[in-house]
Amino acid sequence: MSDAERIEPIDPVTLSVINNAFVNVCREMGTAMMRTSYSPIFNEGLDFSCMLFNLRGDLIGQAEFCPTMLGSCQFAMKWMLDEVGLDAFGPGDVFIHNDPYRGQCHMPEHLVVKAVFHEGRPWGFVANIAHVGEIGGMAPGSFAADATEVYQEGLRLPPLKIMAGGDYVRDVWRIVLANHRTPKTTWGDYHAMIGSLNVAEERVQELLAKYGAERLAAASEQLLDYSERFMRAEIAEMPDGVYYAQDCMEDDGITRNPYWMRLRLTIRGDQAICDWTDSDEQAKGPINATFVVTAASCYSGFLHVVSDDIPINAGCYRPIQLVTRPGTLVNVKHPGPSVGGNTETHPHIQNVVLRALAGAVPERATGAEGASSCNFLFGGFHPEYGDYYTNYHIEGSGWGGTIGHDGNSVLCPNNGNCRNTPVEILETKYPFVVEEFRLRPDSAGAGRWRGGLASSRVFRVEAPEITVNALFDRTRTQGPGIFGGGSGASSGIHIQRAGDTAFRSFSEAFGTVSDSKFTRVAVSRGDRIRLDSAGGGGFGDPRERPRESIAEDVRQGLVSPDAARELYGYEEGA
Amino acid sequence: MAVRIGVDTGGTFTDLIGVDTTTNQLVVAKTPSTPRRPIDAVIDAINRSEVAPEAMETISIGTTVATNALLQRAGATVLFVTTAGFEDVPFIQRMNRKYHFSLKWTKPTPLVERRNIFGVAERLDFHGTTLTPLTDAALEHLADRLAVRLAEYDPANAAIAICFLFSYVNPEHELRAAEFLAARFPEIPISLSHQIAPIWREYERGSTVIADGYIKPIVRGYVRDAGRAFADNGITAPWTLMKSNGGKTTAAAAEAEPVKLLLSGLAGGIIAGGYFGRLAGADDLVTLDMGGTSCDVGLIRDGKIGYATNYEIEWGLPVATPTIDLTTIGAGGGSIAWIDKGGLLRVGPQSAGADPGPVCYDTGGNAVTVTDANLVLGRLNPEFFLGGRIALNSAKAAAKVAELGEQLGLGLHAAAQAVVDIANENMANAIRVLSIDRGLDPREFALVAFGGAGPLHAADIAAKMGMARAIVPVYPGLTSAFGALIAEPKISQVWSKHFRSDAIDAATVGEHFDEMTDGAIAQLGEEGFTGEPEIERSVSMRYWGQNYEQDVPMAPGSVTPELLQQTLDRFHALHEAFYGYSIGGETIELIRFNVTVLGPTATVALPTIVASDQTTQTADVVTRPVYFPETGVCNAVIVRRETLPVGFAAVGPLIVEEESSTTVVHPGQRLTVNPAGVMTIEL
Repeated sequence: MSDAERIEPIDPVTLSVINNAFVNVCREMGTAMMRTSYSPIFNEGLDFSCMLFNLRGDLIGQAEFCPTMLGSCQFAMKWMLDEVGLDAFGPGDVFIHNDPYRGQCHMPEHLVVKAVFHEGRPWGFVANIAHVGEIGGMAPGSFAADATEVYQEGLRLPPLKIMAGGDYVRDVWRIVLANHRTPKTTWGDYHAMIGSLNVAEERVQELLAKYGAERLAAASEQLLDYSERFMRAEIAEMPDGVYYAQDCMEDDGITRNPYWMRLRLTIRGDQAICDWTDSDEQAKGPINATFVVTAASCYSGFLHVVSDDIPINAGCYRPIQLVTRPGTLVNVKHPGPSVGGNTETHPHIQNVVLRALAGAVPERATGAEGASSCNFLFGGFHPEYGDYYTNYHIEGSGWGGTIGHDGNSVLCPNNGNCRNTPVEILETKYPFVVEEFRLRPDSAGAGRWRGGLASSRVFRVEAPEITVNALFDRTRTQGPGIFGGGSGASSGIHIQRAGDTAFRSFSEAFGTVSDSKFTRVAVSRGDRIRLDSAGGGGFGDPRERPRESIAEDVRQGLVSPDAARELYGYEEGA
Repeated sequence: MAVRIGVDTGGTFTDLIGVDTTTNQLVVAKTPSTPRRPIDAVIDAINRSEVAPEAMETISIGTTVATNALLQRAGATVLFVTTAGFEDVPFIQRMNRKYHFSLKWTKPTPLVERRNIFGVAERLDFHGTTLTPLTDAALEHLADRLAVRLAEYDPANAAIAICFLFSYVNPEHELRAAEFLAARFPEIPISLSHQIAPIWREYERGSTVIADGYIKPIVRGYVRDAGRAFADNGITAPWTLMKSNGGKTTAAAAEAEPVKLLLSGLAGGIIAGGYFGRLAGADDLVTLDMGGTSCDVGLIRDGKIGYATNYEIEWGLPVATPTIDLTTIGAGGGSIAWIDKGGLLRVGPQSAGADPGPVCYDTGGNAVTVTDANLVLGRLNPEFFLGGRIALNSAKAAAKVAELGEQLGLGLHAAAQAVVDIANENMANAIRVLSIDRGLDPREFALVAFGGAGPLHAADIAAKMGMARAIVPVYPGLTSAFGALIAEPKISQVWSKHFRSDAIDAATVGEHFDEMTDGAIAQLGEEGFTGEPEIERSVSMRYWGQNYEQDVPMAPGSVTPELLQQTLDRFHALHEAFYGYSIGGETIELIRFNVTVLGPTATVALPTIVASDQTTQTADVVTRPVYFPETGVCNAVIVRRETLPVGFAAVGPLIVEEESSTTVVHPGQRLTVNPAGVMTIEL
């Protein structure tokens, strides 16, 4: 703030231009990364984010690739700066870090950071976070659904220099590559991440040459303040009050007990307090959210209901305060595991935030989305290619209905924005045949505006053995509707062993504790595995849904005549 | 006389430009477009050009007929046939969303209804080996279901599209289904995915073949109308249509694969951009075709147009056929300036279009547009807009810009300049991302700007991107039509087949390349080409594990293991050059084999413009107050383009006016005119 006061304020037009330039630097960084990365989750899935930080570690620019990281990244950045100090950064140095207790969402996500120097002094940082597909640990694909400690989840890197003065820090690379199951992929992905930093660094240098370091810094301060003011104005428009919401994770993979997250949201004037104190103690299994996951969920929840025009930077997070208790489901303590906290608990938390906000801004409310990425990971030796592979596979779920719109069907849960892997790519790379991939009729929560539909996919195993891991939720719970809307269908993962006549849960077939969270199950040729995602919750009373909309759903086979009758009171031809 | 004619059917006007190949003289004509029957405007433009039918050598047309049918959702009923179990792929799509934080956004609606999707029991694996055979009984059953559904619709406006999994590896099942259904439904056109888009990714291939079926009846109608109209007017010259890949094609071929016409109306611009860039001595070019609502950006490297297969009808609705590499940005003269809730100025992507139009058109528009800002700045001449066709109301525009300025705390000119600045920054930013995506540095390129609004913004955008110069073609408002005129026949063939570099069969690759090349040459022959074709081959590759590929050119000659190795080596080198690293010894995936066969046609030459000594007569100098941020309001020299002689050189501020466009030269920039009349602005 004080820097900005010394320098003459930047006019709104230049500010707008600089804001666009910041966003564009991040877009360019992401484009470069997408083109060169290795893991499908990274280049088909787009599971990464790109950002700019000022010297304090405040996010000053970002581009839309994967939203999950945008709310959390500045914690990772700030805490890293606190720990290593600004002086640790020299020209050409790149730091890497994936530590969930130091600001990361979970360990597969790696942050790389490079300082941008101007006239010999650091000006700010270019950075990106990406999901690296395999980082070692007890389960191939590093999604250990029955992990009870972080040490089982993969290789943890505190902030470390991976490039020094533009050269490889070979010892670090050797340790990392020796501990990941598919080091070649890691090598390619790290290079894509680092290479894209160079693209961004060059562009920031150009901006510095054009505007000067002080002016550009002043502009970024003003943009932070601007976003803060904007968010405050939006919150001020919401009625003051205290709003409650809660939801649970059905189990943690270790026991079959549910774990609850409970939010007390206070809107007071132009600020919001998200108090999660009453949430359950942290779980033994890997469904714990790190503090930054909870923070990111709160920020993202607000961004869903406020104006699209707010430039997304650290400023718009300032009016939102967080209260959490360490050692709970929403703020895991060392050495609690957290890999599923980011994929499964994260969207649950965000749905809870949106549900609480529905009390304040009902006109912008939504039914819950499916909130499970249906994480399905597998690995083995390819019977034809001979090499060792692992893959991280996810499914989309139904989203909630909102005023004016039915929920979208089969979309990535709200904490991510990944694409699916096409069947033709999947089968070319991995020894499965996909027997079907379709919408699940009647999986949407009924409503004046119904939820979106879920999907169903059947894999048939085409190798002597494949090791599979799953980390699902919502198989025994449902995404609730709102204001009278119905719940979406539950998700599920089931197996039909070769020679068996029916699909069964993994608990039944293999004796896993949880139906939805397990690791290292060996399946074999001819086995069929069905992944069902979860449906979205409806909005408003289904009886108020226009008859022609119901008729159209029935005509297109999205809602069965029976469901139309039972849920909507609709008789065909009536 | 032998006149080659190019026509471009735009949203508002249909443009014609012709070159007499014996005298190099140009003819031009412009007439309002006739959206209901687009060919009427083409005929009208031809009549206005006063070229006698017998003097016409060729006619080539760029048309938006296919694009509009898609954008306006005015196409046919498509019955989509696919592998049983995968009927919902067009609805599931790719699972991602356009915006992160929007609850209002909805997925794009496919061009087919869910109930009109029919699964068939059949299945291939990724090698193309049959897992489930396609039986006659299954086809019989399918045909019966289709017959029932077809009875609900007008057969003249229905089409069948087929996409089976892995048909790009083995088309047998698609071909058998097509044969069976053609016998049963002879009047219904059938599109096959492996022919239209032989690529992997079932959603993208399916979406493409659905789009093809969707526009087939409309394109067929257009092509037949055109044939009749030419015959009725005594025109016997061979006529062709522009394709998305920048080549031209016959009516029959266009009717068979209409989806390949999607960029027909845009391809001409980039071809002509390359032509004029070359005339100005530049081979690395960014082309910028800026009109009222959007601008289209293309990249030309070493004089060669890039190709892409990632066109989208709207976000998330792909058409994966080879197109010229072109990206549309939502910025044009009609883009609206607005102030967001937080008080920052934004421009676009909403456009005032032609109706209600910019404020200065005085046709009911109330929102400040980029055109209004240019007028307020003095850069547009209110009496000579579109050669005086539309009189602009400066006072109204100024009043609205002033209102906007008040909200921003800016004076009239500063506000107008801000609108233009932000529009230009948006375009420069978008061009940078495009370049990065292709591993290119835009600073090494020259900008070729055309379309009504391109030359107005060219110098500023080029400067913002750090380019050295901007080039303005002759008749910048007719550049697309000129591109159609000079386009050559071009057949692109693609074979999608997955190989690893450690297990590749040179003989099979060779066979397929030969088959594709022979097929393409034969097709060129059918389209009337008799000369020596040019053949370009490339292989799309990536390191094992990567998902995005690069096209690596393959040298001519029979495909031997040595030639393959040479091509693989080239990939390592290209990867190093693009991304700063390569992984020697790593397995490479080969995923697509591409052949393009061109029928080179004698290039047209442009007439040399009037030569004169360089002294400008002071008596002729007209000036007008024009605002530039560098100088404030100054008296800029205004010249008419047709009076500029060869070798003309001047330093800005300078405004060059002509009927179809206005070129702005900022203070300190230098304008020169070459013998063909092409203008270059050095920055």
